[in-house]
Formats: sequence, structure tokens, C-alpha cells
Amino acid sequence: MSRKVYLDHNASTPVHPEVVAEMLPYFAEIYGNPSSIHAFGREAREGLDLARERVARFLTVSPQEIVFTSGGTESDNFAVKGLAWARGKGHLITSQVEHHAVLRACRALEAQGFDLTCVGVDGSGMVDPDDVRRAIRGDTIAISIMHANSEVGTIQPVEAIGRIARERGIPFHVDAVQTFGKLPLNVDALGIDALSFSAHKIYGPKGAAGVFIRKGTKMVAVQHGGEHERRRRAGTENVAGIVGLGKAVEIRARDMHIEAERVTTLRDRLWEGVRARVPEVRLSGHPVQRLPGTVSLLFRHVESESIVLGLDLKGIGVSAGSACTSGNVEPSHVLVAMNVPLDWAMGAVRCSLGRSTSVEDIDYVVDAIEPLVRKLRQAMPVGAA
Amino acid sequence: MRYSPTLIDHFLNPRNAGMMRAPDGVGENEYEGCGDLTRFFLRVRDGRAVEIRFQTYGCGPTIAAASVASELCRGRPVGDLCRLEAGEIERALEGLPEDRKHAADIAAGALRAAAVQYRARRG
Repeated sequence: MSRKVYLDHNASTPVHPEVVAEMLPYFAEIYGNPSSIHAFGREAREGLDLARERVARFLTVSPQEIVFTSGGTESDNFAVKGLAWARGKGHLITSQVEHHAVLRACRALEAQGFDLTCVGVDGSGMVDPDDVRRAIRGDTIAISIMHANSEVGTIQPVEAIGRIARERGIPFHVDAVQTFGKLPLNVDALGIDALSFSAHKIYGPKGAAGVFIRKGTKMVAVQHGGEHERRRRAGTENVAGIVGLGKAVEIRARDMHIEAERVTTLRDRLWEGVRARVPEVRLSGHPVQRLPGTVSLLFRHVESESIVLGLDLKGIGVSAGSACTSGNVEPSHVLVAMNVPLDWAMGAVRCSLGRSTSVEDIDYVVDAIEPLVRKLRQAMPVGAA
Repeated sequence: MRYSPTLIDHFLNPRNAGMMRAPDGVGENEYEGCGDLTRFFLRVRDGRAVEIRFQTYGCGPTIAAASVASELCRGRPVGDLCRLEAGEIERALEGLPEDRKHAADIAAGALRAAAVQYRARRG
């Protein structure tokens, strides 16, 4: 195996060298606890403050409205549960295609007595804002809709949903883990009251993330302990990681527009290449309102894990839309919500491109996919899926 | 890599994949709760499986298990195939990860079914 091609940037990204350089002093040189008042602590606090300012600048919000967490999952749990618990009871609205961090947090709240409506999506994975409007009740206490879907890349009409939420005075949370640092995010224009983001999707480190919480939004802490993060999230901050998050978003603010253009071209080259050479393949997700680097391919009558394994053996990293674990195979809940037929959904493969992806990489992947899928289909009982 | 070189080889170069015209025995096995399915075709002469072919829909290990089983069992008496155990296929693949043990089960079940059907046809 000579060439290595990583097309799984929606799962995680390599840390940018400038980010690594910024983080390094925070391991052994600047190691104080940022809550300590002595010089060691104050030095660490400065790193944290700078990161908070950088994130706030990107979102055009106040640094006091940023709470750092340990990851996107924690951010989503904090936002959804924090909004719900602050109100004690009532009705929540989310969508069927959310990340499990939101969906399962909502289900956990439902088990605690909250009411829950999961609005559906159309065939492209998009929520209809009118469905959200119709789902609103007198006791609706929060709406949580993702900005873009990690599996199929569809970008939701959050501005329209935000407008509806604002008209009705309902707090609106957006899981922006897949768009933060990739698309412009003006939380005021989008009507967002809480927004989850993460570092490792944008060339920052794992274990550093956060939530924007609009000033005045009623919210309770989910994790209790010390008085960190203005008593909204207890626990000593991951200073090095958060410093990396701040640097990563600063770099993205500089580079994201040009990179979005570049990866969109590559994304389309990948799809056109596969479509021209492989029969019975479809693109899932919205054709236009889609993350710049995401291509979700559906190969009919092939099992996605076998494609992932075959490409892995060629040095290519992509992800499967269905997972077979201990004899249980389930197509992704996103594709099920989009009403994708099972014989297509089981062959879902996601390619997510990034800053290192080249034209040569894309051509190499297209060249690898065609013979692999042909070979897998040869051994396939027709119609067995 | 979590899979053995033998498994990878059979996945990338499946032996005896495809249908068979007028087989003497056909059997299939679908793993419960899983979309994986394997179908075996047998050609039998003098009580032995002289030709084995398969079709499968499944993850890499499932394809490899069917392929290795088709080689492992060729030339063996049908009675042997009726008693084929998943462990033998797993050993031939030089092991399977815990969450992929079903791959050998599917192949063994399908081959047993084909052998049993051959016997039933003969009365």
C-alpha cells in the first residue's frame, strides 16, 4: 500500500501545524490551573481568555456567551438538557436526523416526563420549517435542529426555523458541530440562542468544544462541581485543547471561504467520476444545500462495510452509512428518515474531504471504487438486499 | 489491521463466487437480525462435493468466510458438510474478531443447508 487518502474529515481532522505550535507550551510550560489566582494560573487563564475571544469573534458574540466543554456530545447534552431542566417541564422539538448526542439526550428527557416531537425530513434530508411551526404547542420550551447533517451533508434552513422560534419566544439550539469553521455563522441573523461546536472537526484537537449561550437565556448546569465557566460547566478546563480550538477557528475564519470553494470542486469531481463509472449509484443529501466537502454515496445491492474494508485495503479512509456489529445491522437513522429504500441505504458510503485532499486523491479513489464495487456485486445474490 | 492476511486475501479475491447451473444442492442462511446472507450451490459426484459455488451479501468477513468455506469443503463427503461447524471456517480464516463471529456462522449454516437439501432430494 503506497498512497494514503483520508476522506473522513466529518469524523475527525488532523490537527493543523499552527494549532499544534500554539498548544505546545500549554502542556509543560504553562500548566497552572486557570482558576488559580497566582501567576501560574493567570498565565493559563490568559490562554483560555484568548481562545474565548477568538471563538466569540467568529460567531460575532460576546466572550461571556461562550462555555467550553469536552466535546460536541457534551455540548449538545448541556444545551438540550440545560434548556429543558431550566424550565422543569414542557415540550421539546427536534428532528429525526439529529446526531445521536441530541436525539438521545431528547429521548432521555422524554423518559423524564418531557414531551418530544421529532419532525421528519424530505428525501434530501431537509426539515420543513412549516413542520416545526406546526409542531409548536403552548408549552413548547425548546427547539433543537442541527445546522448540517454529518452523514449526508444537508444544510438545514436554520434561519427560517430561527425566525419561527423567535416569533414564538422559544429558545432555539443549533448543533453546528459540522458547520462551525466551515460556513459563516452569524447567530443573530440565524436567530440562534444556543449553538454547539467542536474543535476536532476543524483541524483542532479532540476533547475541546463549547456552546454559545445567548445572554439572558435561561439555562441550568448539567455538570456540577466548581465555579468554572461562570458556573455553567463545572470542571477544570482543558486549557491546551481550548487554546487549540481558539487557534483552529482563527485559521478557519481566514481560510474557510477559499477552502469551501476548493473542496466543493473536488466533491463534485468525485461524484461525477463515480457516477460515470459505476452503475446503480446515487448521491444522497441535498444536491445544492450541502456541506462543501461531503459526498454521501449510495451503492445499490452492496454492503457498505465491504466497500469501506475494500477501500481501507487501498489506503483510503471513508465511513460506512450502516454498521454491522455483533450480527446486528442497521441502516443509518438519517437515511431511514429520508425514506431511502433498504437496498440502497445498506450500501451508503460517506466521503468527507478536507484541506489536504487533492485532485490526485479524488482520481485515485474513483479508480479504486469502480473495480471494488464490480467485484462485490459479482458475488452478490441479485435482490438479496 | 484487525483481520488476518488469509481473510483479506479471500475478501479481495473470492474463490468460487457466482451461481451454478443445475446444482445438486442449494442452501442459504440469513443471519438473524442482520442483512447478511449467503447461498451455496453444490455439485455432487459419488457422494462428494466436487464443485462448490456461492453468492453472498454481507460485510468483508462474510464474503471471506463463504470463499474459504468453498475451498475447505470441496471434495469432502456430503455427510461431512451436514455436520460442518463454524469453528472450522473461523480457523481457516485464522480467526475472526468477536463482533464478526457471525460471518463463519452464516457460511457454515448455508453450506449445511445445501448438503441437507441434496440429501433430501435424493430421498
